[in-house]
Amino acid sequence: MRVHTLAFLATILLAAHLSAGPKQEEAGPKPTARGDPPITVSPETRQVLDALDALNAYQVPDLKLKTDEKYAHIEKDLAPFHHVKPYKEYFLEQIGYMGAGRAIPEPDGVKTVKIGFIGPISPTVSVATGGRSHEEVLGKKMLQGCQLAIQEANARGGYLKRRIPFELIISNDNGLWGSSGNEIIKMAYQENVWAILGTIDGANSHIAIRVALKAEVPMMNTGDTDPTFIETNIPWVFRCIGDDRQMGYLLADYLYRALNLKRVGVIRASNRYGRFGVRKVVDSSRRLGHPIILEMAYPVGSEDFSLQLDRLKQLDVDAIVHWGDAEDGAPILNQMRAMGMKQPYFACDRCVSDAFAKIAGGNAEGMACPYPWNPTRSDGKYQAFRESFRQRFGEEAETYAAHAYDGMNMLLWAVQVAGLNRARIRDVLAYRTEPWKGVTGDIVFSSVLDDIGDVFLAKRERGTWKYYSRQDLGIPRGRAASAEGQAAGPPTGETGPRAGPLEGRDE
Amino acid sequence: MKVRLPQLRILVLGGLVAAGMACQQAPPRLKTEGAPPSAAAVPAAVPADQLPYVYTRWKHFTVREGLPNDHIFAVKADGPRVWVGTEDGLACLDKRTGAIRAWKEKDGLPWRVVTAIDVDKRTGDVWLGLFGGGLARFSGGRFDHFNQLNSGLVNDVVYGVAIEHDNVWAATTAGASRYNVVTGQWTVFTEKNAPMEEIWNYSVSYDNGKVYLGVWGSGCLEFDVATERWKPYLDPDGEMEIDLYRDDGIIHVIVTGASHVDDALWISTYFGSCRYDGRHWRGFYAQETGLPSDFTNNVKGRSSREGWFATDKGLGVVADFPSDTVVSYTRDPQTLRGKATLYRSGKILKVVDMERSVPHNFIISLDIDGNDAWIGTARGLGWAIGTGYYPGLRKGADRRAGRAAEAAAPAGDPASGKRR
Repeated sequence: MRVHTLAFLATILLAAHLSAGPKQEEAGPKPTARGDPPITVSPETRQVLDALDALNAYQVPDLKLKTDEKYAHIEKDLAPFHHVKPYKEYFLEQIGYMGAGRAIPEPDGVKTVKIGFIGPISPTVSVATGGRSHEEVLGKKMLQGCQLAIQEANARGGYLKRRIPFELIISNDNGLWGSSGNEIIKMAYQENVWAILGTIDGANSHIAIRVALKAEVPMMNTGDTDPTFIETNIPWVFRCIGDDRQMGYLLADYLYRALNLKRVGVIRASNRYGRFGVRKVVDSSRRLGHPIILEMAYPVGSEDFSLQLDRLKQLDVDAIVHWGDAEDGAPILNQMRAMGMKQPYFACDRCVSDAFAKIAGGNAEGMACPYPWNPTRSDGKYQAFRESFRQRFGEEAETYAAHAYDGMNMLLWAVQVAGLNRARIRDVLAYRTEPWKGVTGDIVFSSVLDDIGDVFLAKRERGTWKYYSRQDLGIPRGRAASAEGQAAGPPTGETGPRAGPLEGRDE
Repeated sequence: MKVRLPQLRILVLGGLVAAGMACQQAPPRLKTEGAPPSAAAVPAAVPADQLPYVYTRWKHFTVREGLPNDHIFAVKADGPRVWVGTEDGLACLDKRTGAIRAWKEKDGLPWRVVTAIDVDKRTGDVWLGLFGGGLARFSGGRFDHFNQLNSGLVNDVVYGVAIEHDNVWAATTAGASRYNVVTGQWTVFTEKNAPMEEIWNYSVSYDNGKVYLGVWGSGCLEFDVATERWKPYLDPDGEMEIDLYRDDGIIHVIVTGASHVDDALWISTYFGSCRYDGRHWRGFYAQETGLPSDFTNNVKGRSSREGWFATDKGLGVVADFPSDTVVSYTRDPQTLRGKATLYRSGKILKVVDMERSVPHNFIISLDIDGNDAWIGTARGLGWAIGTGYYPGLRKGADRRAGRAAEAAAPAGDPASGKRR
């Protein structure tokens, strides 16, 4: 009997020992609920918070990762090497964050909740951005959008859990010797920001996100349309603006499927924006059977484009696509017309601006550019934002201001909901599946945390920009009817003709 | 017959073009996934009881043992000393006593975040890559500071550092810098003088007359010290969103680490890993090898047959390349016990339960130290004690290795965490 009792007790003790889990000092702070968020959250976000609250320093949340059937809506005929199934397709499943950051306790003694801003707001000279800086006009608008969002959040009580204000830590991104990396480090380790919004130039953005990855700071991008920005598998990076991949696909569909053009030439800036931005137009043209006849680059800020235009004129192309800033794009168009070149002119979203229209004057009539959103939407929230922006700055809001406003509001929401912990701030955004009702429209993140919503085609008609969706243009994603109402031909390489020799390493 | 590399490149390129033309002419050939463009090494068939060495004895070090911070960005073994770079300070651990000495900014360390370490074997100088703080030399108890304002360092965000003869190489976010400690001359490598489509350097290592840069967006670049010529290793398909063939080259251009040893180049990326023996490439993806994850922060080759990978879900070791044998070390996040899972060609051979394994599954850095290994994680440093270590495979050998490790362990705990 006594032996049985001892054995029973030993069994109980052993079971208790095995079920006790890790020693507390090793497991780090005991998982504790951080309290209800000070704002109302959806049941979905509540579920995310509950999952996060239960974690120790070694655990990761058992939450569903986003998956996409197709990366970035890439249709088969626009996919690289589309006759062969690749050994591996990336970006179809969201990358989780596996580190220990969720266990870091909220700090005491915080007087303001700092959010970082990095963008081109002061002039400089930079190799990365193509010499003399040229993006301040965009960066300042981006900053204004952030300032308005912060101002409104503080008017509502700031960081509600502690009733302290949000503070915007502003940093110039001049690209000089990769200084954007240094700026992110300062914000992460010295200013102790909880999240960062920025930037515009592709090179600086890549440098910044590599630092954000190591320093483990959430980074929201609202102005860099470089497709490769998000193709880096960094779980700390978000983007809430349509990119050059989506815009390039729309333009290619419009050129070849709606207008039935055959021979297109490209003139682009000789910087990273021009090189990477136009790449999807070039790739898509080739894959649709109409390889770009000639691609010419020019130094940013040039005054004479005759070298490039002469070559394009000699080849008698059907149309010309420009990828670069408005301040270059408009003089190119004027010089084309002065040279007697009457081809239709297409350009990137940066040319949809008052500056372009002012320089180009009547020459702008009829040109078309893909655009990341529709700024003429009549949504009440958007109209209220425009009015607030006007009152605050005495200017009109535009693309960079509106997207920055949305991006900053998403970060502020995440901080309110998650508390002062960078990993949790990341999590509530990364696991969010509900659309963010922004002033630029509904924002839903893909599996790479990118907004791949609809993009538009802006046409200059009777002195104003008009915005057309794919539906408006009759070119829904994928195969589309041609302008004549006939079914488009079969994808290149199946039975239809294929123009041009094999190019580069592709196909 | 030995095929020279230029010939090989022509063959590979020719093969790719031919493959592309074939695709153009014969579109019905859609079921080609998994078909390599050239014959890669085929795993050797070995009996299931032929097993690699398994590290069953581990020690952990955290702030409780005297480290200045638990987030371990860099680790470098140097004889009885182990240098540890953390998110907030530098530490030196004495393997013999377990004593740890730490330096923070108040102690003269020029910047708090230490992301890279290498030791000049000839002088004993310790070179530190500082994340946003440039480069530092720790010599004779003094820190000398090099940054982009007082030297030829191209950028202060340093991800990697390596000693090559009289030169110190630094992989920075805006190019690579080379500093000759004898002449004091700096050389900067960017897109101007090296085949860097992007200049975002992520790692640097040196082996046998060649420097290897891991470049975010430009693959791996090999620099021949004697000829001063570059050779790029890129993803042949040139696309970000796919890997067309697994074994045709680097699997992705966003390279995080490159480590050459013997005749093999081991490479890590955030998309998977790979190995090149000068003739054949072999890609490693988690779902078919047993490696814990494709998201790989770092790599260290121990030999041409053994490569160690720091992933975000555990430590992955290609323990015997010829037989495709992998050991994956993880920590149960609930019980905190360790686990080693042995795989051959992706199939589980055996699971070894251990009291301890890696300190945290998010592995950031690692170094090989004779029979031992040092593993830097998001929450502490791990010492894998390799008593009885053997390369390759042995029949039923992991149990023997475990017993040998236990038998050979010191009576006391050499790493009890005494702080000096």
